[in-house]
Amino acid sequence: MEINKSYDPSFTREVFENVDSGKEIRMCMQCGMCAASCPLREHMDYPPRQIFSMIRAGKRDLVLNANSIMMCTSCYTCQVRCPRGIPVIDVMHGLAHYAISKGILTRKDTATFGREFWQQIYKTGRIDEKDLSRRYFFADGIVSGIKKSLEMARMGIIMLLHGRMKILPERKIKGIRSLRSMIDRAMQTGKGGTGA
Amino acid sequence: MKYFLYWGCSLEASGVNYLRSLKPVSEALGMEFEEIPDWNCCGASVSYAGANDLAIKVLNARNLALAEKKADYDIIAPCSSCYIQMIKVNHEIQESESLQKQVNSILAEDGLVYNGSIRVRHIQDVFFNDVGIDQIRSRVTKPLNGLKVAGYVGCQSVRPYGEYDSVHNPVVQDRLLEALDAEPVPFPKKIQCCGSGIFLPEMDLCLGLVRDILDDAVLHGAEIISTVCPMCAMNLEMYQDRINETYGTDFDIPIIYLTQLMAVAFGMDLKKDAALHNNVIPPENILKAAIGN
Repeated sequence: MEINKSYDPSFTREVFENVDSGKEIRMCMQCGMCAASCPLREHMDYPPRQIFSMIRAGKRDLVLNANSIMMCTSCYTCQVRCPRGIPVIDVMHGLAHYAISKGILTRKDTATFGREFWQQIYKTGRIDEKDLSRRYFFADGIVSGIKKSLEMARMGIIMLLHGRMKILPERKIKGIRSLRSMIDRAMQTGKGGTGA
Repeated sequence: MKYFLYWGCSLEASGVNYLRSLKPVSEALGMEFEEIPDWNCCGASVSYAGANDLAIKVLNARNLALAEKKADYDIIAPCSSCYIQMIKVNHEIQESESLQKQVNSILAEDGLVYNGSIRVRHIQDVFFNDVGIDQIRSRVTKPLNGLKVAGYVGCQSVRPYGEYDSVHNPVVQDRLLEALDAEPVPFPKKIQCCGSGIFLPEMDLCLGLVRDILDDAVLHGAEIISTVCPMCAMNLEMYQDRINETYGTDFDIPIIYLTQLMAVAFGMDLKKDAALHNNVIPPENILKAAIGN
């Protein structure tokens, strides 16, 4: 064990400066309530408590490649239970955004789904569920797209037959151009954005 | 009682039976709705993959600003994802002058400004606190006669602020079910997450979450599960076949929106008002037996 090695604060600084809500981890007292509360805890390599600890310890690669940061279902259970009032979800989302913007796609399907979701908002201002699924299925190319579509075809047909699918394509909102310039500015001036 | 209804993207597609039943039921209770002009998506819970926090705040601030410009009504967001996004951004703007300034400098691109005067509400909040249990009970003409319902609250419809119900032990949905003369069954998984917006890409992991919720509801005697969230409804209803194939279970329990149950109990048309034909697992027989038709 390297007991003489001192902590490297550079990654902590990187998180504080570039990750949305990154500074909030300063309040963490390592109680583990977040880890115990998470519905997907058993599938996580490092639950939020450990992620926060590893940020302090400068474990950059482990944190940014952790599957847990992209596995948040946004249920807010950890957040409402955290005795120190840390917005755990905001931190996890901030870390996921930061990792994805660095090209790290540990949970590739979820990252792809989320990016397609966001791109559709940017394109039309709203979400068209059937178009989103199609784009998500075909994001990896035509072969895997057909395979994924076939797997889900039965459910799609059932939804269509029960009127649970919008037949017409989603139209752009009227203010789409100004919405896009608002988003562009937010991405440039906010943390974790392209301008960061 | 006038409100803005911000129904969002899902309620026009997979959650269409929620919107269809919500409108006549609310009207019968004396509520009137206006649409927020040219509203946009709230960003839901997965946009962070592409967007930073400020961009998501701006999405919601635009809707709040458009509403504020038109009238001073409260906004009802029946979809829990819309609700959580909008109420969160609203609080953050109301509590931080610097954020409000930053957001407004961006909204100015379209001549918009948000002064922070609007209140964001969940439909359960409005039914419970503005309309009231007595008023709802007085509208019931076809009581559900002790139908055992698992009132599945899910996660986002009461969190993170708990403005109208406990975030740990919510009771409002159960009280509303009782007003319809249904019997809400207690089941511990009522606030466990179903996988929400990442169900599709993380299906292998989330099927287990839904199995546990269904299992718990059935175990506690539920004949039907009610919900107030389009993601909950989708994940609990559409994947029962797949869960049965994966885990060797035999779930076949209808999932129904609270507003659909209200339409039924109010004696409204089962198709036009309750939109039961939109449900994939048919609830008609169970409901007809309960109301004695």
